[in-house]
Order: sequence, then C-alpha cells, then structure tokens
Amino acid sequence: MKFFSLLKKELREMLNIQTVCMLVLIIFMMISMGGMMNKAAEEESEESGKITICDLDDTTFSKAVLHFLESPVAGMKNEVNVIDVTSDDYAAELKKAGVKSFVIIPEGFEKSISEGKQADIIYVSRMSSLAALSNVNAGSEVAVELIGAAVKTAIYQDKTSKGALTEAETKLLEAPLNVEEQTIVANKSANVKQILLYSSLYSRSLFMPLVVYILILLGSQTMINAVSAEKLDKTLETLLSAPVSRMHVLSAKMIAAAIVALMNAAVYMIGMNKMNMNAVIEYPDDFKKTMEDLGLTFGIKTYLLIGVQMLLTMLIALSISLILGAFAKSIKSSQTLLLPLMFVTIVPFMASMMIDVTSLPKALRYLLYVIPFTHTFIATDSIIFGKTALYIGGLIYQVLFLVVCMTVAIKIFTSDMIFTASERVGRFGKKKKAHDEN
Amino acid sequence: MANEEKAVLEVEHLSKQYKKGVYASQDVTFNVNKGEIFALIGPNGAGKTTTIRMIATLLKPTEGDAKIGGYSILTDAAKVREGLTYLPDEAGAYKNMKGRQYLQFMSEMYANSKEQAAEFVKTAEEICKLGDRLNDKIETYSRGMIRKLLLARTIMPKPLIAILDEPTSGLDIINALEIRRMIKELAAEGMSFLLSSHNMLEIEYVSDRVGIIAHGHLLETGKPSELLEKYEAQNLEEVFEMVVNNSEIL
Repeated sequence: MKFFSLLKKELREMLNIQTVCMLVLIIFMMISMGGMMNKAAEEESEESGKITICDLDDTTFSKAVLHFLESPVAGMKNEVNVIDVTSDDYAAELKKAGVKSFVIIPEGFEKSISEGKQADIIYVSRMSSLAALSNVNAGSEVAVELIGAAVKTAIYQDKTSKGALTEAETKLLEAPLNVEEQTIVANKSANVKQILLYSSLYSRSLFMPLVVYILILLGSQTMINAVSAEKLDKTLETLLSAPVSRMHVLSAKMIAAAIVALMNAAVYMIGMNKMNMNAVIEYPDDFKKTMEDLGLTFGIKTYLLIGVQMLLTMLIALSISLILGAFAKSIKSSQTLLLPLMFVTIVPFMASMMIDVTSLPKALRYLLYVIPFTHTFIATDSIIFGKTALYIGGLIYQVLFLVVCMTVAIKIFTSDMIFTASERVGRFGKKKKAHDEN
Repeated sequence: MANEEKAVLEVEHLSKQYKKGVYASQDVTFNVNKGEIFALIGPNGAGKTTTIRMIATLLKPTEGDAKIGGYSILTDAAKVREGLTYLPDEAGAYKNMKGRQYLQFMSEMYANSKEQAAEFVKTAEEICKLGDRLNDKIETYSRGMIRKLLLARTIMPKPLIAILDEPTSGLDIINALEIRRMIKELAAEGMSFLLSSHNMLEIEYVSDRVGIIAHGHLLETGKPSELLEKYEAQNLEEVFEMVVNNSEIL
C-alpha cells in the first residue's frame, strides 16, 4: 500500500504534461524519420530496376547485352532506358537524360571481347550530397554487374566450345570489364570512383553536423541555465536595478554563451579531425588533385561559409533559449522548455546525415527548410556540391529568423516580460486569479 | 542630485495593471524623506513587491509616476538607477563567486572609477562583517551570511534610497536584530530606506513611517505611534486589521 502510494507520487512527479508531450513528439519524430528512411529504401529498390544505358558500340553483341539487361533475373524485370550520349560533357549529358547515373557501352566493346581483351565500360554518376543514402545509383550498378555477367557468359560459351580455357582466358573471366568511373560533382567531372570521394569526405560529413548539433545543444543549455538561474536567484532583479544598460546585460550573456559554445565546438572539431578515419583506404597518387579539380577540398572560403552558417545557427539557438529562459519557473522547467528546441534540432541533424534533403518530397523538404538549423546541417553539401541558391536562400532565411528571434528576445529582456512571463505562464496553466504576486 | 530639499522619493498615483481590470497595485501615493525609513506593510499578495519593482525601474507602471532625487522612473530610468539600490526578497548571489568577488563585481556596476569601486568594496566589507569568509565561495554561505552580504552590497554605494524587500525574511533572531540595527544606524547617517514586510512587529520597531497596503491599495500612512493612537490599537497588526476592515474598497 505504502509502496504503491510512493510509486504513484514518483510517477506523478516524473510523468508530467511536458514529459508526455515530449514522448508524443518523439513518436512523431520516429515515425517521420522512419517514413523518410522507408522512402529512401523504396526509391533505392525502384532505382535498382531502372537502367539508363547508351550503346555506342551498336553491334550484335552489345544489342544482345541490352536484351540480357531486360530479361528477368530472379523474378525481377529491369526497365532499360536507352539514351544517346553525344559528347564527353558528362555533366550536361546527365542533365539532358534527367538521371543521376548512366552506363556507356563504348565503341569497340564487341571487338575487345572477341580479341580476348578486357571490355571497356564507362559508368557516369553524379555525387550530390555527403549523406549516407544519397549516393546510391542502384540501377547503373546493377547494369555494370549484369554486363559483366553477360560478357562472362559469352566468353565462357565461346571459349569452352573451342576446348579448355587458357590461363589468360581464365584471368579475363575473373575481370572481364574495365570500368571507367566518371564522377560528376556540380558541373565538373573526373575519372575517379565515387566511393573513394565519399570515403575521403566521410569524416567531415559525419562530424560537421555533429559539431553543429553540439554547438546548439551546449549553447542553448548554457543560455537557458544562465537566464533561468539569474531569474530564480533574483540576481537579475539586482542587476537590472543597477545603473547598467539592459542591452549590455543581454549582449554580455549572449557573447559569453557563444564563446563557451564555440570553445566546446572547437574542442570537438579538433578532436574529431585528429581521428584518422581514412587510414585504411589507399587513394590513387593524383587523388588530391582530382579532389581539387572537383572542388571537394575544404579551403578557407568553404570553412568561412560554413562558419557563417554555424554562427547564425548558434545565435538563433541562443536567442531562442533566452526567450525560453524568461518563461522558466524553475531549473527543471527550464530543461523541459529546451526539449522542443532539441526536437527541432535532432530532426534535421538525423535527416541530413542520412538523406540528401534536396531529394525529399516537396512537403517534407520545405518542412525541414522551415527549421533554421537545417540550413547549417546541409551547408557543407550546399557549398561543395554547388547548390549555391540553396545556401544563399538558407543564409537569408537564417538572418531573417535571427532578426525576429533577437527582436523578441530584446523585447522580453527590455520590458516587464523578463519578470512576468513565467508568472503569466503559471497563471495560464493554473487559471489562477489576480493578485498572484506578493 | 537635483532637488535635495524635496523628498528623496515621491510616488504619485502609481498603478500596475497586469490584465484589464486587475490591478496588482493601484493609485499608490507616498513619499520618503532624507534619512527616513518608510515601510510598506501588508500580507503576501498585497502589492508591495509590484510597487517596489516599479520604483526600482524593473516594471513599467500602467499609470502614475515616481521620482527619486527628482528624476522620473518613466523618463529618466537610468538616472533613477544611479540613486537607488534594491534588495529583492529571498534574493541570492552568484554562487560560483567568492564573497569578495561578488562585492567587487557589484561595485563595478555602481562606481565611476576603480578607486570608487575599491572604496565601495571596503565599505561593504565593514558592513557585512564576514571577515575571512569573504574569501570563500558564496555557495558555502548560510542564509544569514548571504543576506548580510547582499545588504552590504545594497548599502555600499551609499544610494539616495535603499529599497529592501522583506530584509530579514528567513533570518534567525540575532541576524534579524543585527540587520534592523544596521538600517537604523545608516538612516541616522542620512540614508533613506523603503522597506517592505509582512512582519508588522518588526516594522513597528524599525520604521519612522509606515504605509498599510492591501489588495493593491495604499490605505493608510503615518508614524507607527500616531497610527496606534488613532486606531487605539496595541500594535500595528491590530491597526492593519482595523484599516482593512474599515476600507470601502474591499
């Protein structure tokens, strides 16, 4: 009996309305994220059956290969879209075809096979994001596999009918294709495997959003604690009754919280940069130059542009926390007030790590764009993959959002609301009558 | 300061309306002269803190005005803040600071030079009598020690008027007595005080004049002895009861 009374009391304390609301929000978030992931998986599955190919060889064998691609494999029938590629400007050709990747069977394909040589194949793909699931070009990858299988079958049938395979022929069967991989980044192309580019950028794609997330998390907590503690200890009343400008008090708080958050971010950035995640991968000798040619190196300009976004995000988070801090009735309630902010941070954080946000359905995409932090999470992608309009648009939106937040924060801090906001919330919640104040 | 001959604090028809028709403080008028201890007395929720917060320029009045040293809280809030200090009810201090650091920090808010700040800190050290404990972090202080530190902080810049909200709340008898004596001594030296308290016996002892406030209205003002005589009462609590019962506004 006593135990259950105690349990009931503890549950009442811990399972308050804010906690329940947060649980509902988390469920919503998980469903949304699940939906996004499922959609990405579905798209990948659909993509794997769509093959875009150009037959420049135009021989009996290449036509037979195209036919082979169309034939059902394990009950799955591929949709083969044959296109014309008329130039070496693969970026333009991809755009013209309206696809993310295609495969070219070049001239001399049949000839090479008949001469017992490796047959050339050109695999062109666009790299558009650093997100984990964004660079899957399933259809073209399936095509390369199937072409390889078709060539193997042809060699096997042809050679075995003429007797035993020579050592050279056996070697050819192991690797019948010479795949030249052309990767497009923005409007530039290079003969480099996309997986190598992704691997070299992987650590940055992982830790940049993480640093932004930490920056928001720590900055917000520092600020909300600073404001609510000052309010609850009444040191704020003491300070604001002294001959000191409220704007000075406000800006000192903002700058101090920003410095602390930046110090934390710097520590994390240095620490993560030192984690050599690429040590096990061997890169070609000219890889660095290829990266430079594709604009994938992080120069001062890139860091500066990302830094501007980070600064804006931090200032937005700080001003929101400052507003929320004014409504805090206790330290515990200040942490609860932070939960919605954390929610709108974690959604774009997770989404940008997994998916190229620009590839999401319109409604979902714009929903994410409304969250100002999204633009910082995708800033690296926007800068290095040439999505300039998205970067600038995001920057303008963030500036406007910051102006609104700062205006509200200044309004609260320079008016009665800094002292009365939490009382108003209390009155609203409990429907208390007048004369609530001593 | 301008108008030194006049009252240090003049409060005229001060009102605060939080929502339409609901006043936390309404039409409050009184003044405090140089070296005078004026106390607002009333129960919790009477409107004392709202009135004090308006005078301390923390809240903006809906109607009326108050002047400190001739400067209006509406038009010269910055000047008003130069002439007052405020000690909120149950106020804390920055716990991570040491006592001396806190005094140094606060002195810099009031002083115009380093020398003046050092002078303020020296004054505060003498007033609070915390000795070597000023080198300890505030988080290690007892409630009485914190209150003494805060009171010293309030007094150190020698303001025209010190506003003390429930100055002895939560203190033991010895500490409370010490603080009351300190207030009386400083008033004798010319500092004015505006106190608020729901402890009417304390106010009867310490204040020169009192204002009885209830439901946001200032119902009566006068010297404690005059009020006791006027209402033929034994103490201020009885006066308060009679004033509130006789009031037409309630």
